[in-house]
Amino acid sequence: MDAQMDTGSLAGTRRWSVILGLLATVSLVAGLWMIFFYAPTESEMGVVQRIFYVHLPSALVAYLAFGIVALCSLGYLWLRDERLDAIAVCAAELGVIFTTAVLTTGPLWGRIAWGAWWVWDARLSFTLLLWFIYVGYFILRGATENPERGKRFAAVLGIVGAVDIPLIHMSVQWFRSQHPKPVVLKPEGPSLAPEMVQTLLVNMLAFMLLFFCLLLARYVVERLSRRIDATRLLRAA
Amino acid sequence: MSGFLSGAWAVARKDLLLETRSRERFVSMATFAMLVAVVFSFSLDPSVRARSIAGAMLWVTILFAGTLGLGRSFALERDSEALTGILVSPIPRGALFLGKFLANLAVVLAVEAVIFPVYGLFFGLNYGAGALGLLLVVLLGTIGFMALGTLFSAMAAHTRMGDSLLPVLLLPLLIPVVIFAASATQRLLIGRPLGEVQGSLRMLLAFDLVFLFVCTASFGAVVEE
Amino acid sequence: MSTPPAGADTPAVEARGVEKRYGALHAVRGIDLSLRRGEFLTIFGPNGAGKSTLLRMLCGAVVPTRGTVHIAGEPIGEGEDGWRRRIGLLSHQSFLYPGLSAAENLEFFARLYGLADRRARVDEALRGVELWERRGDAVRGFSRGMQQRLALARTLLHDPEVVFLDEPYTGLDPHASGLLTAVLQRLRDGRRTVVLVTHNLSQGLEQAHRVAVQVGGRWVSDEPAEAIDPATWERVYTERVAAAQ
Repeated sequence: MDAQMDTGSLAGTRRWSVILGLLATVSLVAGLWMIFFYAPTESEMGVVQRIFYVHLPSALVAYLAFGIVALCSLGYLWLRDERLDAIAVCAAELGVIFTTAVLTTGPLWGRIAWGAWWVWDARLSFTLLLWFIYVGYFILRGATENPERGKRFAAVLGIVGAVDIPLIHMSVQWFRSQHPKPVVLKPEGPSLAPEMVQTLLVNMLAFMLLFFCLLLARYVVERLSRRIDATRLLRAA
Repeated sequence: MSGFLSGAWAVARKDLLLETRSRERFVSMATFAMLVAVVFSFSLDPSVRARSIAGAMLWVTILFAGTLGLGRSFALERDSEALTGILVSPIPRGALFLGKFLANLAVVLAVEAVIFPVYGLFFGLNYGAGALGLLLVVLLGTIGFMALGTLFSAMAAHTRMGDSLLPVLLLPLLIPVVIFAASATQRLLIGRPLGEVQGSLRMLLAFDLVFLFVCTASFGAVVEE
Repeated sequence: MSTPPAGADTPAVEARGVEKRYGALHAVRGIDLSLRRGEFLTIFGPNGAGKSTLLRMLCGAVVPTRGTVHIAGEPIGEGEDGWRRRIGLLSHQSFLYPGLSAAENLEFFARLYGLADRRARVDEALRGVELWERRGDAVRGFSRGMQQRLALARTLLHDPEVVFLDEPYTGLDPHASGLLTAVLQRLRDGRRTVVLVTHNLSQGLEQAHRVAVQVGGRWVSDEPAEAIDPATWERVYTERVAAAQ
């Protein structure tokens, strides 16, 4: 489907985005309440450990987003459906945003846990590389003059990136295993109190809902802005 | 299949012929690599033993020099729109990719044949015992580098930013090559046996096979108009 | 690879509803055409009419957004390469490598087409465009006219049945364009099908069997050349373009 033919109604998508948004708001408020008043303070790290309830859900949502980018990219190259490209762009944007959240909350926590803002911990380095790959995704799109070509290039990068991710993950893990590990107090260790697990689960749900709400809302905006561009060019011609 | 390979060979042969005529890529890459060595020796603290970080220095040099040369690879095809002439001809897109890849590989391997002796000379490295292992590491590392590099240089050539885009896209994706190749090189340089780097070699081989396949398959989507 | 000869009544080139969009820009808006074997079609049109895009879709260099193209009955697309051997494209860009000699350029293209008697073909082609004496010289030193002659030799090297010409006269001096006209005349041998695209009304009218005018991605006329009076053609063309815009 191409932009000018794209006249389908987006009302359904918009409605879902609102419903998910409401659910996300409720669960986020509940999640925040649990983080600050329900979950017990971790004995060794203290209050800063509570960041973990935001950190881990952000990471999972970011990985999910990049998974969606890869699938939609493959689908786009196959079917050349504009909508798949639109979903891929929106998911990549959210992926970068949530990865940024991971990269912000990680060092805040690491400052206390590891005594340093940045440590080349396997998961943190891996997330940093993901951030670079998907920032590159937007630079690449922005640098192509022909939008169709930009979509194809971005899709190829989305696929190559997805294939590379397991290899990067393995290599970074392997690299870390070759070096002395920083003293990590794994919060998800067996000592996790049931209240902590519940807080984590509620926040994970809240972040998922938030992600899908934002994805749908952003998708509606993307489709509308493409229609506007198409109409404007048609007028100009 | 024979058509595929002969097409790839035609493209690689043409690129290498152009390169032997002008030597522009080889000369600029090799000079750049030597300058990096000079910069390293002046920027490192004299108390640092170069031998203990040579693996990292060598691969940083290879990556930067290689990226520098990759930029020209598709600029050649765009000068008089020669790429269109190839795309209209019956050779498959994958064969075109393979040909460009082989030519890039040959040029970068030639540059590496300069980099290693120069680093050996400047930093007193002894390649003797691990030479066979080093050869394997360099070959496997460079294949993976050039597979992704050829694909992304084709993309970068079609953008407004051109070559300046290439390292931004390429380097994060090449981290597995950096990790396995640099650590294996380092181990071999300090005289560890080949058996100790087998795991790295296997990972490099896996990286090469995966990306030769993925890049050959997706090249059509890159050069399509 | 050998391709079965197309039946006499199979159109040499057939396009159905071809369209090309670049983002929101609609370069070609649905064109149907069918060319018999041996037919010479000239497409006139102002700059930006999408003529070049149409031509490149017909020879597989640009993928249509919608619609299909058949060459001698074979659908064009990736994979099957039989149809690619039947076509040649000459553009105002030479598709040559300035760093290689005339002979090396042709030899490269001969390899791409997997031609068996490479050396002989290249020699013959070089003689045909009067560049035999300069065969060893780098194309970089060639004049525009010589480059275009070599590009013509490249286009015809594999003896294509269908020849596509995209503004081939651009930048040629009178002598070189005279040579090109003579070659085009020879291409009109009843065996070869030719599609010529140009914005210059003084070229390509006398050779044509059929003349089309393309404006804004659409054909506004398509008629046999006999129906055109060269004396009034310029006025008729200008009126048609103005009416369509």
